[in-house]
Amino acid sequence: MDAVIEKTAIPASANGKTQLMQESSDEMIEISAVSKTYNTSQRGSHLALDDVNLTIKEGQFVSILGPSGCGKSTLLYMVGGFVDVSAGSIKVKGAPVTGPGPDRGPVFQEFALFPWKTVLENVMYGPLEQGMPKKDAIARARELLTLVHLSKFENFYPKELSGGMKQRVALARTLAYKPSILLMDEPFGALDAYTRTRLQNELLDIWERDRKTVMFITHSVEEAVFLSDRVYVMTPSPGHIRKVYDIDLPRPRIRSDLLLDRRYQDYVVSIERLMDEQDKEP
Amino acid sequence: MARLLSLPGIPPLLACLGLLVVWDILARVFMISGLAPPLEALGQIPGILSDPEALINIADSLKRMAIGFVLALAVAMPIGLWMGRSRLAAAFFNPLFMVIYPVPKAALMPIIMLWLGVGDASKVLVIFLGVSLPVVYHSFQGARAVEEKMLWSAAAMGVGPVGRMLRIVLPTTMPEIMVGCRTGLVLALITMVTSEMIARQTGIGNIFFTALDMAQYNDVYAMIIIIGILGFVCDWAFEAVRRWLVSWADSAHEIAVGSA
Amino acid sequence: MNAIAWRRTITELAAGAVPVLCILVPWYILSAGHFVAPSLLPSPVAVFVRFFQLLGDPQFLQNVGVTLFRLFTGFGIAVVLGVGIGILAVGSRTMGSIVKPLVRVLAPLPKIALYPALVLTLGFDHSSKVALVVADALFPILLATYQGAASVDPKLVWSARAAGTSQTKCLFTVVLMAALPSILTGARIGLVISCIVVFLAEMITSTDGLGQLLVKAGRTFQTVDMFVPIITISLLGLGLNGLFNLLSARLLIGFSTRA
Repeated sequence: MDAVIEKTAIPASANGKTQLMQESSDEMIEISAVSKTYNTSQRGSHLALDDVNLTIKEGQFVSILGPSGCGKSTLLYMVGGFVDVSAGSIKVKGAPVTGPGPDRGPVFQEFALFPWKTVLENVMYGPLEQGMPKKDAIARARELLTLVHLSKFENFYPKELSGGMKQRVALARTLAYKPSILLMDEPFGALDAYTRTRLQNELLDIWERDRKTVMFITHSVEEAVFLSDRVYVMTPSPGHIRKVYDIDLPRPRIRSDLLLDRRYQDYVVSIERLMDEQDKEP
Repeated sequence: MARLLSLPGIPPLLACLGLLVVWDILARVFMISGLAPPLEALGQIPGILSDPEALINIADSLKRMAIGFVLALAVAMPIGLWMGRSRLAAAFFNPLFMVIYPVPKAALMPIIMLWLGVGDASKVLVIFLGVSLPVVYHSFQGARAVEEKMLWSAAAMGVGPVGRMLRIVLPTTMPEIMVGCRTGLVLALITMVTSEMIARQTGIGNIFFTALDMAQYNDVYAMIIIIGILGFVCDWAFEAVRRWLVSWADSAHEIAVGSA
Repeated sequence: MNAIAWRRTITELAAGAVPVLCILVPWYILSAGHFVAPSLLPSPVAVFVRFFQLLGDPQFLQNVGVTLFRLFTGFGIAVVLGVGIGILAVGSRTMGSIVKPLVRVLAPLPKIALYPALVLTLGFDHSSKVALVVADALFPILLATYQGAASVDPKLVWSARAAGTSQTKCLFTVVLMAALPSILTGARIGLVISCIVVFLAEMITSTDGLGQLLVKAGRTFQTVDMFVPIITISLLGLGLNGLFNLLSARLLIGFSTRA
């Protein structure tokens, strides 16, 4: 099964399924002509996002790359339903976004774990809110903690964990209520380089199992290319999409192989050049 | 309409009006016994203010409050500043103040009256004690925070210890002292009212309880309003003085004013 | 407890004892040296003897009970109202715009001035005292709750909403819990205020309670009996404060110990 590299085609996945190009109702996330204006009392109105258009298909791992302050996180929050759109529309599975919901699970850079709950209680939270009986919720939470290698820490409080561990708990907590979309806001940004690379690998391992749709925000070019099927590059504020790159690299992605892979290097270099150009622009 | 509502003074004004309306409804419609309607209470105010005996009582109370406040400033400020600069002084005074802090000074009234009699002295003492604590605390904290380097520069220029205290420490600490004074002023008012309610011979407390005894309920509410206005006037006057003295340090000091 | 914990506890106890000694020692010297007449300043020994004596007196205990009842009722109502209104003021913009100006107007007023009105409308018994306690303890609790709730990290709420919690439920589960450190700080202040206010109110007008005991003893010039209620309320205050700290520590497990 050769992957046909078109503008919107996706390479064949590891277990042999191919996604065919279909009508727009197959789009998982559709962002159309979205703008966001903030009104503050001090500085008047500030245009954060300007006419953003992008679509994400089911099962795609998409990164949004851009400099600080370009509004990429805001875009994510709007997909999640946490922040309202000023203009344009966002649709998930064809239906407009009206608020947060368990179909779109967030993972934040600052972890946002509930400090008064133990690790287990944090991960159990989603299933319990979905109405699962307590015993089952505990079992599901334990499953996920095993997945992120934190079973021994189920009775710890978040404050007793390192940054990397906290982020794993945050990921487990979101996965626990089985969202169809993962919204990840620079999740490894607050971690040291070593932990970051380890967690990137773990994230991909977990993702390979059921291939959820992922919208991943980052400012690291290498991270974006390493993880994603497609990378959107945004301009500085007011942000809109500058360019799209389809990343045609085989999965599973193994870092040591990729570092020597010419295509990986080409992707990274061209995107870096693009960002450099942007920096030089007034 | 929305624009009008967002002007700074308007919401509190509306809140006042709202409260008055609720008060009026409770008094007239629900006829809660003992609750006089606001207009009638307000109507009594001119009567009270033109009654010479009442005026003397109010003036007495204010006089005691003023004396207590000024005495407290005169004593507590230097002690606080000294504590801030001298470890020994701090170690000596700190435990003392920590014990006195939780005791409501007005509660000491009966004991103090035993010692000092029922005249002005006991009430002034209680007010003095009440005001001293916040003033000492804030003077202490303020003086502690004065940067060493400023003092070293002054010493290098030949300014002696007393000079440094007066010309460096005092002005730098002024904003913090002002915070202490504001709390102290509030406490002065509260302690004054409370102590006079406990010992009712003269003053505002006397007016209150005479009115209560004689079932002149409107007078009671009128007095409450008068005290409220007194509180606002004192606060506003203080703010004016404070701004004149320390406008250079105006930060957002959101002071949660204490009560009791 | 291991050696380090022991040493820390003893140091803390010693530090707490110093202020007490600062009062007791001069007191004892003043009275034992007959610098002041016993009718004005009884010896601390006499006061404590009387205190322990009265601990066995059912009438005294009843008065203590009455004071405690008013204190806890007032404090309890203040906590429920303060936390409830504070949280609602953060969650609903209309509530917030009503509550904020009201608080700005009412907070600086000395509530003790309302006491005669409370006595007029609610009578001389429990209700007027409880009402005064509520009026005085409410504002620190409300302000602390509001400030705490308003500064909760929105991402905590977002995480809960994404998991399926409704906005209202979030307010009273996530926001309230996240604001707990602030709320407990305000509650501690409210507790101290409650102790003080109930005592003062009983001193002004009451037929029973600790404050009233003080005034009654004053009228009959029984000096020793005047000091006992003060000792009692101070001990009660210290004890309640200690209990509150223990409770706080339990409730705040998981929150980082930032001052």
